Parts: sequence; structure tokens; C-alpha cells
Amino acid sequence: MFIILYYDVNEKRCSKMLKKCRAYLQWVQNSVFEGNLTESQLKRLISDLAKIINEEEGDSLIIYKFESQRYTDRIVVGKDKKTDINFI
Amino acid sequence: MKETVYIFNSGRIQRKDNTLFFESENGTKKFLPVENIKEIFVFGEVDFNKKTLEFLTTKQIIVHFFNFYDYYVGSFYPREHYNSGYMILKQALAYETTGRRLKIAKSFVEGAAKNSLKILKYYNRRGQNLISIIEEIESYVQEIECQESIETLMHVEGKIKQSYYGAFKNIINNSDFTFEKRTKKPPKDYLNALISFSNSLIYTYCLSEIYQTHLDPRIGFLHSTNFRRFSLNLDIAEIFKPVIGDRTIFAVLNKGIIDSRDFDNNLNGIILKPSGCRKFLEVLQERLNQTIKHSTLKREVSYRRLIRLECYKIEKFLMEDYEYKPFVMDW
Repeated sequence: MFIILYYDVNEKRCSKMLKKCRAYLQWVQNSVFEGNLTESQLKRLISDLAKIINEEEGDSLIIYKFESQRYTDRIVVGKDKKTDINFI
Repeated sequence: MKETVYIFNSGRIQRKDNTLFFESENGTKKFLPVENIKEIFVFGEVDFNKKTLEFLTTKQIIVHFFNFYDYYVGSFYPREHYNSGYMILKQALAYETTGRRLKIAKSFVEGAAKNSLKILKYYNRRGQNLISIIEEIESYVQEIECQESIETLMHVEGKIKQSYYGAFKNIINNSDFTFEKRTKKPPKDYLNALISFSNSLIYTYCLSEIYQTHLDPRIGFLHSTNFRRFSLNLDIAEIFKPVIGDRTIFAVLNKGIIDSRDFDNNLNGIILKPSGCRKFLEVLQERLNQTIKHSTLKREVSYRRLIRLECYKIEKFLMEDYEYKPFVMDW
């Protein structure tokens, strides 16, 4: 399924979140990621990220799940920082 | 579905922050999501170190290498993680038992022939006159069942292939791509170069899928097992060459995506230029991701998935659960 993930965490934990997300998804913008994952991959990612997050300090992580991208439309204004990783 | 990465640029791939990182010679840097990568195809000059290879092994990622002329060189085949002594024993036993080896080898030839026929019939409906070739192949298909050795079976397969390739000139409406006869190592004309490239890719996709199952790629049935190379992937590829490879060839040529300018003929034979190679792979990848409604599973599966399902069917056959019927397109 297609995933859009974004987080807002304390500066101290930003790089930890970035590194973990980069192993599963494609970087789009600062603290925003996209990609296709299976249900189990997503569960693993969420449990890993939950260990980093500190709720008391107001960290939050939001994930959008889509069964398919068929009914979505991606609009970009300005520079699209998401690049092709299948053909490099 | 995990993704396939094709690397055309030269550079270095390394482990960084517990994921893969590619830095090309011209300075572009990219992180590759390691958890979501199935395999890597390397066409450029890419550096690796042992640390990276270890990491690829733990993540079970196969790396396929192609040389300057886009010939398949080999694969980094990580340690088997589906290590089943039981399966290897069954597979070897089936190879050694003449009747069983012949039976499964016949299925591969039959699958390949029936899929080729489906394609020819499709173009026949579209107004290309292919009736005579279709009838010729149909008569050869009748012969498959009564073959009593692998050698004669290979002979029938050769005849089917020859008639089938003979139809290519009718299907492709581009005078640059005519077909005289199949030439390899090196290919002598544009079409042969494209067929060779496409086939070598199908072999590698099959190898990647076999890696995800308990099967051993070293023991093939139609292609004899020898000391040198993997052969089971060649067997399975027979079924998928027409379904995936050849249909992509027709698509890129008839839609004009690839033309004679995408080839280099200054060398001894003819090869695809990097630009043509990339264009072909983009269309091929699209085809692999495309889904069809599977008639027995009753759900959407991608063409890529069909290869894996074929491996599972072979496993079932070897464990004497099911009769093996090759995948045949039903449209």
C-alpha cells in the first residue's frame, strides 16, 4: 500500500527519525516521506519509530495509508524534491 | 511489492545510516530504502565494499551485474536463507528420475509454445496473416507429448522457436527490424540484439524469484544441470519470455519508443546503447508491475508475481502434491 508519513519531533530526535524512515521510504521534504510498503513492513516501521518518539515532549508522527494510488493526484508547486530511485 | 533498482551511472554504493547510499561520479547522492528493495541491476561501473555486501546479504538483496555490452556477467547471490535439505533432495531426485524430469521439461516447452501461440493468435486477429505459422506450431505442440528423451524434446522446442521467430517480421511494422535468423554472441542485427537483451533480463528476474523460494537454481530440468551455471531459471524463463519479454519488444518497436538510433553497430556485433537500454527497461518494468486477474487465485497479481507463483507450483510438483501445469495466458 502507498504511505505518506510525516513527523514533528524535538530537534534532538530529528536525525534518528530521518535515518529510520530513510531505510523504508523515500524522502520527499524535510520530515516528509512517501513509498510503497507491505502491512508487515509498516508495522515494523511504526514500532521502530514509536521507540524514538517522546510523547511527553510533544512529538508526533502521522501516517496516511492508501490501498492504491489510483484515486490520488499529486500536485507540486515549485521544486519537486522527490527523485526517481528505480532508474539511477 | 518490493522495488527493483537499475543503476546506469557510475559511482559507489555503500552502507550508510543502516540503509543503502548511492553516490555517483557526477556528485548526485541518493538514499535507497533498503527495506523496500528486492534486487539491484548494475549497468554502470559501481564500487562495492565487503561491508555493503554483508549488509545486502542480511537484507537478502540480490545484485545482478551487466557488462559494457549489456551482457549478463553474474549475480551477487547472497547466502541461501531458505535452506531446505528436503527440497534439494526432492529436486535432485526428480532430475535423476527420467520420467519425472521429462514430464516437467515437457511442461516448460508446452508452456512456452502455448504462450507464443496466444501472442500469434492475438496479432492474427489484428489482421496480420499468421495462420500458417500458427498451424505449424500447433502441429509441433502435438509432438511434445510423445517425445521420449530430453534431446528430442529440445529439438522440437528448437523447431517451435524457429517458426515463432519467423512471425516476428509480420508483427513488427518497422523495416529496420527484420528477422533473418536468431544470432547470438554477438547478435548480428537490431532485433537479435533486443531479443538477447530481453531474454537475459528474464533469466535474472527468474533467478531473483527462485532465491525467494526453497528451490535450488542449480538443478534445472529442461536445461541440463552442469558444473558452470544456474539452469532452473532458464527453464522457468522459457514460459515468461513470450509473456513478458517478447510482448515488451513488440510494444517498444511498434510504438516507436526504440528505433535503429538506439543501437551501436560500430562494434563486432550490434548492441543497445545505454539510452536504448534504459528506455527498454522502463517499459519492461512497467509491464512487470502491471496486474492481471489471475484465473485460479481470483485476484489481481502482477506479471512479476506470476514468476514466483510458477516457482511455488514447481515446489508443489516436486513434493508430489500437485500436477504441474505451466502458466498460459488466458486472453
